[in-house]
Amino acid sequence: MGYGSTGKLLRVDLTRGVTSVERFDEAFYRVYPGGKALAAYLLLREIAPHVDPLGPENVLVLVNGLITGAPISTATRFTAAARSPLTGAYGESEAGGFWGPELKLAGWEGIILTGRAAHPVYLAIKNDQVEIRDARHLWGLEPEQAQAAMREEMGDRLTRVLQIGIGGENKVRFAALINDLRHFNGRSGMGAVMGSKNLKGIAVRGTGKYSDYAHDPQAVAEIGRRIAKRVKEHPQSWDLQEKGTPGLVSGLNAGGILPTRNFRQGAFERVDNIKWEVYEKELLSARRSCYACAIRCKREVKVDDRYQVSDAYGGPEYETIGGFGPNCGIDDLQAIAKANELCGRYTLDSISTSAVVAFAMECFEHGLITPEQTNGAEWRFGNAEAMLQIVDWIAHRRGIGDLLAEGSLRAAEVIGGDARYFAMHVKGQELPMHEPRGKVGVGLGYAVNEGGADHLVAYHDPMYANPASITFKAAAELGITEPLPPRELSPRKAEAYARLENWSSFGKVVGFCYFGPAPRSLIQVDEVVEAVRAASGWDFDKEELLRIGERATNLARVFNVREGFSRQDDTLPDRLFQPLESGALAGVGMSREEFETALTALYRVKGWDPETARPTRERLEALNIGWAADLMV
Amino acid sequence: MRLHLGGHLNWYDPRKRAWLEVPLAAPVLLSALLQQLHVPPGEVAIVVINGRLAQLEAVMVEDGDRVELYPAIGGG
Ligand code: SF4
Repeated sequence: MGYGSTGKLLRVDLTRGVTSVERFDEAFYRVYPGGKALAAYLLLREIAPHVDPLGPENVLVLVNGLITGAPISTATRFTAAARSPLTGAYGESEAGGFWGPELKLAGWEGIILTGRAAHPVYLAIKNDQVEIRDARHLWGLEPEQAQAAMREEMGDRLTRVLQIGIGGENKVRFAALINDLRHFNGRSGMGAVMGSKNLKGIAVRGTGKYSDYAHDPQAVAEIGRRIAKRVKEHPQSWDLQEKGTPGLVSGLNAGGILPTRNFRQGAFERVDNIKWEVYEKELLSARRSCYACAIRCKREVKVDDRYQVSDAYGGPEYETIGGFGPNCGIDDLQAIAKANELCGRYTLDSISTSAVVAFAMECFEHGLITPEQTNGAEWRFGNAEAMLQIVDWIAHRRGIGDLLAEGSLRAAEVIGGDARYFAMHVKGQELPMHEPRGKVGVGLGYAVNEGGADHLVAYHDPMYANPASITFKAAAELGITEPLPPRELSPRKAEAYARLENWSSFGKVVGFCYFGPAPRSLIQVDEVVEAVRAASGWDFDKEELLRIGERATNLARVFNVREGFSRQDDTLPDRLFQPLESGALAGVGMSREEFETALTALYRVKGWDPETARPTRERLEALNIGWAADLMV
Repeated sequence: MRLHLGGHLNWYDPRKRAWLEVPLAAPVLLSALLQQLHVPPGEVAIVVINGRLAQLEAVMVEDGDRVELYPAIGGG
């Protein structure tokens, strides 16, 4: 009887061209049950402090979670982690799709990639057969062609391919990994790390079964069936299926929290041109899913009109619509879909890419980037052609695109002057499309997250604002006892945030997609506990699951401490402390004083020293990772 | 009156309509109207009437109004 894991990691030394197997036991996995926890553990063990993120000493790990590959909706995610070339901090990103489950069914819990190949290679995995293959003929190919070639060479069209396009090959610091041409490990620049190792991709075919590894496969399957049946009966999962994340645009705009023109404004005057109804009419070609997921929230688009957009690379999510749309002042949904397609072709993180475009536009409008640098093009807000040009230049590192490919922080330092103010980032990672001035807990998350600004580190404030809402009732299961207004930035907000951060982090450990568990969606807290117990056989309760999430965050934090990060890096861009210029929250800014007070309260709740933002030895010991304290001295 | 059930709110409409025409002979309390339509007030985070934010409690609507409602996810 298993405990949910294959117990096996594949180690690949790209410099020497050799592979080996590393086994771990159940006692180890109980502490690090995959995903973010296992990844952070491995980074601390494998990477020496201060290595060049794009050098051979950096290590890229790809690991599944305990539940990844289970026949349960949203149990699809794997974690990619390395020292981030964008932030120099702990870098991590989760992706769904099919690749993680396929790796598990091939018998591997994860892959540790070290060194650098002498020339482009790809990794071919068929169950326990592993080969490092020449990829010189694939380098420079777009993912669609490269995937077809790898499948052909594997002799199996069911092969799942994780790979990079030219964004990763050119080491754009926010390049992504792509699997099945439409699922991304978007954040933190993991594509650049893969590119720096001369690794084009990893083709995997696994013919095993999850039931071979689960403690109680029947119980896991029964939970999966029960959840799948309920997708249409729960308003939130039903909505994800109907509209997917593109459905979020109008509501955020109405609430005044739709980031517009590089976060200057909170509402977009032409929002009606980019809302879901237009998406459905002008773009949508199909609804798609990830492995075994009955929610099916992924969209696919095809356009043959003002722009030609291929359906090969999926469809834009809310983040991409918000980023290339309102945040660049653009209301042409077809152009946005084209930008999304380019991010797929080039394997760029659409959040950072669109944020860098908005940054460049604001610089241009202030004369900090000049027409001589743009071939005469007007890189102003609202110019869709300019947006597409900038994306292209970034991917190819053409002209000033070479500088922009370094990310907004580095670009701003070179450009100088007000450019620093226009760079909307935390720790070097660009802000996603959620407005902290309207939901301040999201701002706390942007500030403290080890990898820089990220919107999935916790659950957003409005979900626990109204005691009569479905989401509040779900959050109450996690110990959120009182409703808190979305704009209340207080010590009690910090406390609620911390619990929800642990829950989100836990999901990233075991491999749940953010759109599975409550409070965001339909899988109730006790069902998550039930699923973990059935998969592992361990007698864990929800407090233990929260502790697993907290452990993972603490390991990531130790990594950052070792790299020299401290409280002053847990901050927000200055602009967020200024009033919004338009929308329902016009005139509202965050208060610095409240922010600092809440931050101090948050460190206390986390058991960290408020001065340095370092975990205390006591807290690490309480989390079963006392050894990590020694790494911080 | 034209009513938009944004986000997941149209799940509560038996026909899952995102936009509804609601004929109103006289002004009514929006909260009472929502009760008739089986939309739980706890799920409504944002109310926009004729382009302006409003509070659900105690607000009246009448024929000719354009009312948009959004839940906490993707609203609030
Ligand atoms: S909810 Fe959507 S993103 Fe998440 S696993 Fe299902 S289809 Fe994939």
